Amino acid sequence: MDLIRQQMAIVIPALNAGFLQTMRLFFVTLLGAIPLGLLIAMGSMSKIKPLQMLVKIVVWIVRGSPLMIQLLIIYYFPGLVWKTPIWGGGEGGRFLAASVAFIFNYACYFSEIYRGGIQSIPVGQEEAGLVLGMTKRQIFFKVKLLQMIKAIVPPMSNEIITLVKDTSLSRIIALQEIIWAGQAFMKGSQGISGAIWPLFFTAVYYLACNGILTVLLGRLEKKLSYFK
Amino acid sequence: MAAILEVEHIRKSFGNTEILKDISFSMDKGSTLSIIGSSGSGKTTLLRCLNFLETPDEGIIRVHGELIFNAQDHASRSEAEIRKRRLHFGLVFQSFNLFPQYTALQNVMLAEELLARERADYKERRKELHAEIENHAKALLAQMGLSDREGNYPHQLSGGQCQRVAIARALALNPDILCFDEPTSALDPELTGEVLKVIRELAMRNTTMIIVTHEMAFARDVADTVIFMDDGRICEQGNPAEVFNNPKELRTQQFLARYREG
Amino acid sequence: MKKFTVVLMAVLMVLLCLAAHGEESDLAYVQGKGKLIVGITDFAPMDYKNEAGEWIGFDADLAKAFAAKLGVEVEFVEIDWDNKILELNGKSIDCVWNGMTLTSEVLSAMECSKAYANNAQVVVVPSAKAAEFDSVESMAALSFAVEAGSAGAAEVAALGYAMTEVSSQAAALMEVSAGTSDAAVIDALMAAAMVGEGTGYETLTYTYALNSEEYGVGFRKGSDLAEALNNYMAEAYADGSMMTIAETYGVQAAIIAQ
Repeated sequence: MDLIRQQMAIVIPALNAGFLQTMRLFFVTLLGAIPLGLLIAMGSMSKIKPLQMLVKIVVWIVRGSPLMIQLLIIYYFPGLVWKTPIWGGGEGGRFLAASVAFIFNYACYFSEIYRGGIQSIPVGQEEAGLVLGMTKRQIFFKVKLLQMIKAIVPPMSNEIITLVKDTSLSRIIALQEIIWAGQAFMKGSQGISGAIWPLFFTAVYYLACNGILTVLLGRLEKKLSYFK
Repeated sequence: MAAILEVEHIRKSFGNTEILKDISFSMDKGSTLSIIGSSGSGKTTLLRCLNFLETPDEGIIRVHGELIFNAQDHASRSEAEIRKRRLHFGLVFQSFNLFPQYTALQNVMLAEELLARERADYKERRKELHAEIENHAKALLAQMGLSDREGNYPHQLSGGQCQRVAIARALALNPDILCFDEPTSALDPELTGEVLKVIRELAMRNTTMIIVTHEMAFARDVADTVIFMDDGRICEQGNPAEVFNNPKELRTQQFLARYREG
Repeated sequence: MKKFTVVLMAVLMVLLCLAAHGEESDLAYVQGKGKLIVGITDFAPMDYKNEAGEWIGFDADLAKAFAAKLGVEVEFVEIDWDNKILELNGKSIDCVWNGMTLTSEVLSAMECSKAYANNAQVVVVPSAKAAEFDSVESMAALSFAVEAGSAGAAEVAALGYAMTEVSSQAAALMEVSAGTSDAAVIDALMAAAMVGEGTGYETLTYTYALNSEEYGVGFRKGSDLAEALNNYMAEAYADGSMMTIAETYGVQAAIIAQ
C-alpha cells in the first residue's frame, strides 16, 4: 500500500495526461462524426442510384471491419505503399491519423442511426406538411428534425459511451492515451515497472466520464419526452 | 353559382395498375361532395391527386376557372409553383398526422406562420402578424370546441380531439376546397360523433368540401352531391336521395346492399 | 487478436513492399528532411526520461550524438514494441534504438548495425531458493513465466521446460512474485534494474544466465544508415566518447568493442 502511495505521485500525472489525450480524441471524433454522419446518411438515401450504392458499400466496409485495422491502414499505409509518411512520426501526426480513422468510422455508424431515425418518421408527417404548403426544407427543420433527434438519442447514447472506451484502440499506433499510460507502468516507465494497479485505476477515469455522460444524455432524453 | 372545381379526364396508374380510369366531375362553391365506394376504387388516390400528393398521368384540374393542373406540362412546373397550387386545397387525413412536438394551438398556427414569412411586410409587421395568426388559430379551435385544449400535445388528446385539431389546422389556410380522407375511419365509434358534428357545421356554413367516407348515413345527410366510385371510375353520380334510394347502376345497388346488411 | 493483427499487417506490408520499388538512399532521405526519428520504449538504462521530461540513457545519448554527426535533429517517439517493423517500414520512424536484441527475426526484417552491447537472458527466482538452482538441469521441474515472443521465451522453449507466456517482462516478474510461476526469464539489464534490494521485487533475485545475446540498432531493410552508424560507432569507440556515455549509465561492462 505504501508503495502505491509513493508511486501515485508519478502515476497520477501520467494518467491525467493520457486521459487528456483520450478526451481530445473523444471530442474531436464527435465534432467530426456527427455532421459527417448526416452527410453519409443523406448519401445512403439518395435518389441517385449509383451514389446510393457507393455510399452503402463504403458504410458496409467501414462498419464491417475492425476499427483497429482501419487505424493501422490509415496511419501506416502512406509510408508503406507510397513511401511518403504523410502523418510524420510525432504525436501530432498520430493524433491526426487517429482522428481521421475515428471520425470516418463513427460517422458511418451514426449515419445508420440517423437513417433509421429519419425513416422511422411516418410518411404522413411529410404529407401533412406538404398539403399545408410547407417547403421540403421547412418540413425537415420544423417537423422532422426534432422527431428524428428524439428517435436517435437512445442509440446515439450507446455509441457515445462506446466511443469513450474505443479511443483506447488508438494505442495500436502508439497514441499515448490513458490505457497506454496505465500499461507503461507495467512495462517500465519513469522508474516504475511491474505495477499493475495503474492499469486497473484507469477504469476509474472511464467510469467517471461515462457516469457524467449517462446523466447528461439521460437529461436530454427526459427533455424530449414532453411529446410522444 | 359558378363551378369552383372542375376535374377533367384524370387518369393515374401505379406501375402497371391503372387506379383512376378517366375521372371527370365538377363542384359548385359552397357545396359538399361525398365520395363513396369500396377500398381500391380509387377514392383516396383521387383526393391525393387534387392535393398534389400524387401526379395524374393525364387530365386537367381547374379551380375558379383557372387552370391549376395540366398533366402535359406539369413536369415543367417548379416545386414552388406546385406549392402555391396546393394551397387551393386542404386535406384532413384518416390518421390525423398532427405534429407530435407541437401543442394543438401550435399545430394550427405553424403553416400560417411559415407562409407569413414570405410576405413583403413580414419584417415590419412581425408582432402584429403573429398576433393575428394566433387569434385566428384560437378562433378555429374554439369553433371546434377545443378552446380548453390549446396547450395540450397530440398524445394527450383523444382521437376525436386530434381529428378536430387537424380540421382546424387545415382551415387555417383558408383553402378553396377542404378534402377529408375517411376522417372517422380511425376513430373509436364513440368518438366519430364529435367529428361528424364539426363537419356538419362546416357544411352549414357553406364550406366547399369533398368527403371520402364509409359513414353512409352521414354521407347522405351532409352531402349535396354523392359520387359512387367503382374500379377507378365514377359509376354513379347525383344528389343523395337519388343515389341512396334509387341507385341506377347494378354495382351501386350491390355496394349499398352490402352496407345495409352490415 | 493483437498478434494476429500484427501478423496480418506484416504479411500485407511484405506484399506491399514487394510491390514497391526504388532504393533511394535512406541517409539522403533523413538528411533531406533534417531529422532522425528514433523509435523507443521506456527501458532504463537505454532510454528513459529525466526529471525535465527529456529522453536520456545510453541508447538515447548515443543516438543524439549520431544525429549530430549526420547533421540532423533527433526526435524520440515512443512506439508499441510489437509494431516496430511496421513503424519502420511505414517511415513513421527511421530506426529502432532501444536495447533491441539481435534475434534472427529482427536480423531478417531489418538492416541492423553491428552489435554494440551484450545482454543475457537470466533466470529470476525467489531469493530464498536461489541456491538450489545453479545449473540448467536443476531447473527442469520449474514452471517458467516469459514475455511472449521474447528472446527469453525462445530460450525456455529450446530447453523444453514448462512455460507460460505473458504480456511483458514485468508481468513475468509478477508471476514469480505471486507464486503462480516458479521462475521467470528476462533480460539481464532489466533484471538488474527491477529485481533485488530497493526495487519493487525485493524478494527475488537473478542467478543463472541461459544465454548471451547482443544488442543492435535496426534500420529499414537495405538502408545505408546502418553502415553510417557502424562507421560512427567505430570512431566513437576509438576516441573513447562511446565509453564515456556508457559510464554515465553504468553499462560499460556490457559494451562490445567496435
